[in-house]
Amino acid sequence: MGFNLDFALSTIPTIVGAIGATLLATVLSCLGASALGFSLEMIRRGGGAPGLAVRFLIDFIRSTPVLAWLYFLYFVMPFYGIRLGAMTVGVMGLSLYYSGYLAEVFKAGIDAIPKGQQEAARALSLSRRDTVVFVIAPQMLRNVAAPLGNYVVSILKATPYLAILAVPEMLGRAFDIASETYRYAEPLTVAGILFLALALIVAYGVKRIEQRLLASGRR
Amino acid sequence: MVATPFSKKWWHLVSMLEIWLGILQGLGITLEVTAYGLVFAIPFALVFGVAQFLTTGMTRFLVTAVIEFWRSSAVVVLLFVFYYVLPVMGVTLSALTVSALVLGLNTGGYASQAVRAGLQSLPAGQREAGMALGLSRPAILLLIELPQALVTMSPTFINNLIQLVKATSLVSLVTLTDMTFRAKEIAQTQYDPVAIYSALLLAFFVVCYPIALAGRWLEARVNPERGTPRGI
Repeated sequence: MGFNLDFALSTIPTIVGAIGATLLATVLSCLGASALGFSLEMIRRGGGAPGLAVRFLIDFIRSTPVLAWLYFLYFVMPFYGIRLGAMTVGVMGLSLYYSGYLAEVFKAGIDAIPKGQQEAARALSLSRRDTVVFVIAPQMLRNVAAPLGNYVVSILKATPYLAILAVPEMLGRAFDIASETYRYAEPLTVAGILFLALALIVAYGVKRIEQRLLASGRR
Repeated sequence: MVATPFSKKWWHLVSMLEIWLGILQGLGITLEVTAYGLVFAIPFALVFGVAQFLTTGMTRFLVTAVIEFWRSSAVVVLLFVFYYVLPVMGVTLSALTVSALVLGLNTGGYASQAVRAGLQSLPAGQREAGMALGLSRPAILLLIELPQALVTMSPTFINNLIQLVKATSLVSLVTLTDMTFRAKEIAQTQYDPVAIYSALLLAFFVVCYPIALAGRWLEARVNPERGTPRGI
């Protein structure tokens, strides 16, 4: 059959047309994973029974594949009568999966802050909430900028998993073309190149932002 | 027979055990893909990690380009591309080989960065001492630099291994009967998604968690000053 370059080129506009869904899934999953990951880390730090439970949950998430989590959410939620769109389920799955990793990132970021900071906040009788918001979080942000940026790229590279739940992102669109034309090689190659280009561009952008953030933090 | 709540619960436990055992039937393929994946990952990581460390200029650019291709591509897409494109190019490989190749080289790409970083983090005095002893460059690399770098980076390699085991769940999408595929097969005959997909998660946990614990133990031994292992 051979590789038909003209056909490959003709699939580009359709696949690029789905870049919005890919980027939306990335952004939402990054926000969800950061919020959930930070919450998990805060509960873990709190200690006690909830802290232990969350410690186990984080280990459990990190020991299981994202695909299994996506299937779990996609098939188990309807069983309990919760019907959500594929995109929502996908974003929930990626958020949950990456929250386990981001919790570790936040942990390292907080651990790297000198103990004196927390003690000083205590001496000034700041509440736990104020300490976290005004003392810990701003300093943590600088510490986690680099690993967080890497995870943005990781999450972007995990969005094609959502094609398996029939989310119309770039890989899903490539499969749509493939099943309509019975030609798999061309649309998938195009999707592969586009994802690689997108990942490299985002990685470059993330590095630039990170450098600016680090530069502004230096005194 | 009247089904009492007790017998129902009992029956449910039996069917959960059946599901769990059914999923474990795919463990062989999961481990097989992991093992074959390592056959690609380990040489790639060593050769390309060392090459990126040693070379300069145009050669280094080419080495980096190959690493970045495997590392920066989304592994899901990469697997499908190779699965569907290779036959068109006239290369027919089994689904197992293609999966091991793609997942292995993807993992190898990540691990190569650990190899390079490990080599770069060694003090220059190590190499200079080797030169002062009159050792050749390859001898310095093999006898002095690599052993230290590989030991320091061993917790990262463990993390890479866990990532590889988890990524093998993808082979269910290219017709291989691994644990994930078994879960989907069972789901076609039994409507019990909660039991099936919990069992799938548990099956992976049972495989990966001991590896993670081993990694933590290693981390405490080789980098006592650093606390928890780094994630990928």
